[in-house]
Amino acid sequence: MTTKTHRSPASEFRLLTMPLVVFLLVFLGFPAIVNLVYSVSSVSFETLRSPEITGFSNFVAVWNDGAFWQASWFSFRFGLLTALLECGLGLFLAIFLAPLIERRSWLMAILMLPLMVAPALVGLMYRLVLHEFAGPVPYYLWTWFGASLSFLGPGSAFWTLVTVETLQWTPFAFLLFYMAYQAIPREIIEASAMDGARYRHRLWYIELPLMAPTIVVALLIRFIDGFRVFDNVYVLTGSGPGGSTASLSIYIYEAFFKQGAIGKAVAASVVLFIASFVVLYGLNTIAARRKGAAR
Amino acid sequence: MINILRWIVFAIAAIAMNFPIIVTLVTSFKSPRELTSNPGLWVQAPTLDNYATVFTVSDRLNIFLYLVNSLAVAALGTLLAVALALPAAYAIARGKVGERTLLPLIVNLRAVPLVIFAIPLYMMFQWLSLLDTRLGLGLILTIVNLPLALVILVNAIRDLPGELDEAALMDGATRTQILLRVIAPLCRPAIVTGVIFGFITAWNEFLFGLMLTTSNAVPITVGASFFFAASGGGVQWGVASAVMIVGALPPMLLGLLMYRQISGSMTAGAVKG
Repeated sequence: MTTKTHRSPASEFRLLTMPLVVFLLVFLGFPAIVNLVYSVSSVSFETLRSPEITGFSNFVAVWNDGAFWQASWFSFRFGLLTALLECGLGLFLAIFLAPLIERRSWLMAILMLPLMVAPALVGLMYRLVLHEFAGPVPYYLWTWFGASLSFLGPGSAFWTLVTVETLQWTPFAFLLFYMAYQAIPREIIEASAMDGARYRHRLWYIELPLMAPTIVVALLIRFIDGFRVFDNVYVLTGSGPGGSTASLSIYIYEAFFKQGAIGKAVAASVVLFIASFVVLYGLNTIAARRKGAAR
Repeated sequence: MINILRWIVFAIAAIAMNFPIIVTLVTSFKSPRELTSNPGLWVQAPTLDNYATVFTVSDRLNIFLYLVNSLAVAALGTLLAVALALPAAYAIARGKVGERTLLPLIVNLRAVPLVIFAIPLYMMFQWLSLLDTRLGLGLILTIVNLPLALVILVNAIRDLPGELDEAALMDGATRTQILLRVIAPLCRPAIVTGVIFGFITAWNEFLFGLMLTTSNAVPITVGASFFFAASGGGVQWGVASAVMIVGALPPMLLGLLMYRQISGSMTAGAVKG
């Protein structure tokens, strides 16, 4: 028998989390502090290491910057629209195609393929797809209808980007809904069929309510991802035309890398940080309360 | 009847959602001459010249460098994320340590726009001379991969019976030994899923690649756009298409081979997160 002196179990567990905690402190904790300090400082690329605390002028500059509000509005609209479109289409496909896919799961691999490609590359691909001379979409529009659109022009750029994002990420919503649909217990469906429920009644009163939590989660995830969009928008339109397609992520990136407005970029980051903290905290509280109520 | 309709809907959805990939693949086999006359979806005289051009190293463009960079940073970002997440996941699942703080913090990271950390990380990397290095980008990709890796591993460990641990504790094993000898081998499927998913995510990352690299550590998602302006003048769409196909192929192949595991882990991250 060993007479090993065991450390208390909790401290041994705590030790096991240490690598992760240290990593997070260095790569997220430290940057968060830098953000906070620099956001209330006057700083330029010349004085990068010696910021001078000056108060809230950076926040005032962001507040008074029309481009910031334009970017916020773009992000919000883009996130909301793409989330609704993706989830609507995904839900339809998941339910309508379920009988095909149940028997041939490889069909799913084809629908999932867009999820595997980098959004930045998909954006670049659309530069080809929509190109005036080399792109098939304008070519076929000309051949068949004798007219084409300026897809990335001022009027249509927003809708083109919404379409690009929706086509790439509908498979994600589809996948979640298909899994949730498959998870509905067979007995419930069979019982309702025995009771003579019609298909659309079964769908509306039984299947969709059972899928409701997944629908909410999918809408949230897609809204958040749409809100913080960067890659495909950046490579397709940059922020143009006229800043009309700058998301908040692009706004922050350009303020820092293109304009060298460090203070403004950092202050905008802090605003976004606080906003996402408030929203996520609220969501988590609601989720915890509902979980408690369910118990 | 309705089944024919289902097939039609499937075909339309599959073509619409994969349309950019189809167009790019077709275009990558067109010669420059054909490109000017035929923007359609077929190829009259297929050629591999575009791929030959892409794989020719010039002093400005080196696709091998971008691919190796992507491979290296994705591998580091994935393996480090799993290595950090596994012990923490064990502590969370079994010891309830950090279940109410660490776990929600990291899971919510999935929903935070990471661009807000971009500027301080850029400055930090400048001080540490990590800008434009594979190590630096790999460390950032670790952050990107952590949330899903942790969720997948916590779920996997929770599914294992607690008697395993108790039996090993009786035999005098420490928690660390149990983790390495009992839990980790049993979690291998979850670890594999986490690695595949993380690799695809990291390979496809763009924002930090764009900000933190300039030449030595440029990943393929960023390097691909260099080929668009390769010859001055207009874009050579054949060459541009070939480079995009090359850059998209590794994650696409992984996805086609492992779609079952990936679809499972995607839903895990979504439902629990």
